[in-house]
Amino acid sequence: MIQMFHVSKSYEGGVPALVDVTLKIPKGDFLFITGPSGAGKSTLLKIMFGSEAPTEGQIILDGRNYVRIPSAELPELRRRIGFVFQDFKLLPNKTVFENVALSLKVMGVAPSDVKRRVARMLSYVKLQHRANFKPLQLSGGEQQRVAIARALVKDPAIILADEPTGNLDPSLSVQIIELFREVSSRGTTVVVATHDKMLIEKYARRTVALEGGRLIG
Amino acid sequence: MSKKGSADLVYILGDAFRSLRENVGTTILTSFTLAFSLAIFSLFVFVITNLNAVVEGWGERTQMIVYVKDASVAQADALKQAVLKVPGVKSAEYVSKEKALAELKEELKGHESILDGVDANPLPASFEVRVADEFNQPERIAEVAGRIKALEWAEDVQYSREWVEKLSSFIRFIQFAAIAVGVFLGAATLFIISNTIRLAVYARKDEIEIMKLVGASDMYVKAPFVLEGLLQGFFGGLLALCVLALGRYAVLGEIPAYLRFAVEMPFSTPVFLAFLIGAGMLMGVAGSLISMNRFLKV
Repeated sequence: MIQMFHVSKSYEGGVPALVDVTLKIPKGDFLFITGPSGAGKSTLLKIMFGSEAPTEGQIILDGRNYVRIPSAELPELRRRIGFVFQDFKLLPNKTVFENVALSLKVMGVAPSDVKRRVARMLSYVKLQHRANFKPLQLSGGEQQRVAIARALVKDPAIILADEPTGNLDPSLSVQIIELFREVSSRGTTVVVATHDKMLIEKYARRTVALEGGRLIG
Repeated sequence: MSKKGSADLVYILGDAFRSLRENVGTTILTSFTLAFSLAIFSLFVFVITNLNAVVEGWGERTQMIVYVKDASVAQADALKQAVLKVPGVKSAEYVSKEKALAELKEELKGHESILDGVDANPLPASFEVRVADEFNQPERIAEVAGRIKALEWAEDVQYSREWVEKLSSFIRFIQFAAIAVGVFLGAATLFIISNTIRLAVYARKDEIEIMKLVGASDMYVKAPFVLEGLLQGFFGGLLALCVLALGRYAVLGEIPAYLRFAVEMPFSTPVFLAFLIGAGMLMGVAGSLISMNRFLKV
């Protein structure tokens, strides 16, 4: 459950990125955030993830009310949120397996459990044969799936995905969104920011649109 | 819960050692930077410490000679007490007429015939006086000399005013120069070391960011850097001592004998090695932690 009340964000000397956004995302919801680039989609996700602080307004995550998420609580919060980054943010000198395992290791999951869960997640995203590859040896679509596997492997309460299909061809995009739908059907809240009209038309149950930092529907 | 905690520690240490292997080149480079910087600074500390010791040694020598009227020689002990009572006098050593003559003969060894015509001992008895450190300034020595001279049995008081003045201004200059050069050299050392470490950390800023984004605690992210900092400091300190020893060995022949004292190790080797390693570790760890701090805020 994510709630935002009158959240605004402006960067020093720039136009406001978000203006008075109020938004409720119930548990298990699958929400698309749409809008042209620069509309504030990424900023909205970053605020939910605690990597940006709102200039004004409040945010409630899992029943806790934050004006600003304290940095000491960030690790704990992020272990409950899986974030799929637009640029993947994979460690280039670690293997696919190690990249996915990282999000379990930082939680202190026992090594035998890590092995089992990472293997299961890699076969879930159909990358078991790439486990010992380094990210740069993979295609864009494969890297995207590694990033998704890393976000999903910890069974997060919330998945936030920033343009997760931005680098993929249409058939792969559909596969990825199907993956998210499946996760969502098991009770995980999924928020996907995208400007991909095709996906929205095909899958959207619920969509909010941003323009110039304001919610317009 | 305890199982989770121990897995945490296993991962933190395991990742720290793995990261050390992956960054072995940077670690070696940083160790060498630390080593040479510490060696240069140490060399400076050696020279200054040795010079200071020499200069202070000069100050320890006799600063004043008080000649005693022949008529008063019989009460030598009482006179000594009187001299010691003068404010600013640290010690006084009595040199009897006989001893003075013996010393003169010793100095004239081979030319004793000069004294052949002298029957009675013409030399006066004297006290060799040292003044307390806080009186070791031109004006205050003059003050002490004046008080002693006022004693009725004192024939004359001799001290080299010019020498005392030169010595004390030289000591002041050396101390001032040492502080000035030390500050600059220390700042340069810190600057070089912190820049090297900052570049090494900067090269891994993406790694730090990603670790934080997947939910790693600050401790988890910092551990490899702390471990590397400790090792860099350890090897840097050890290497610094080798650089100093080899450097000294290489240039010793070029240094005139009377200046060699300046490059001698003025401290005990284990203590100094511990100091070098400690300083290296402190700089390695503090440098890493300070440099990475801003990358932790994601």
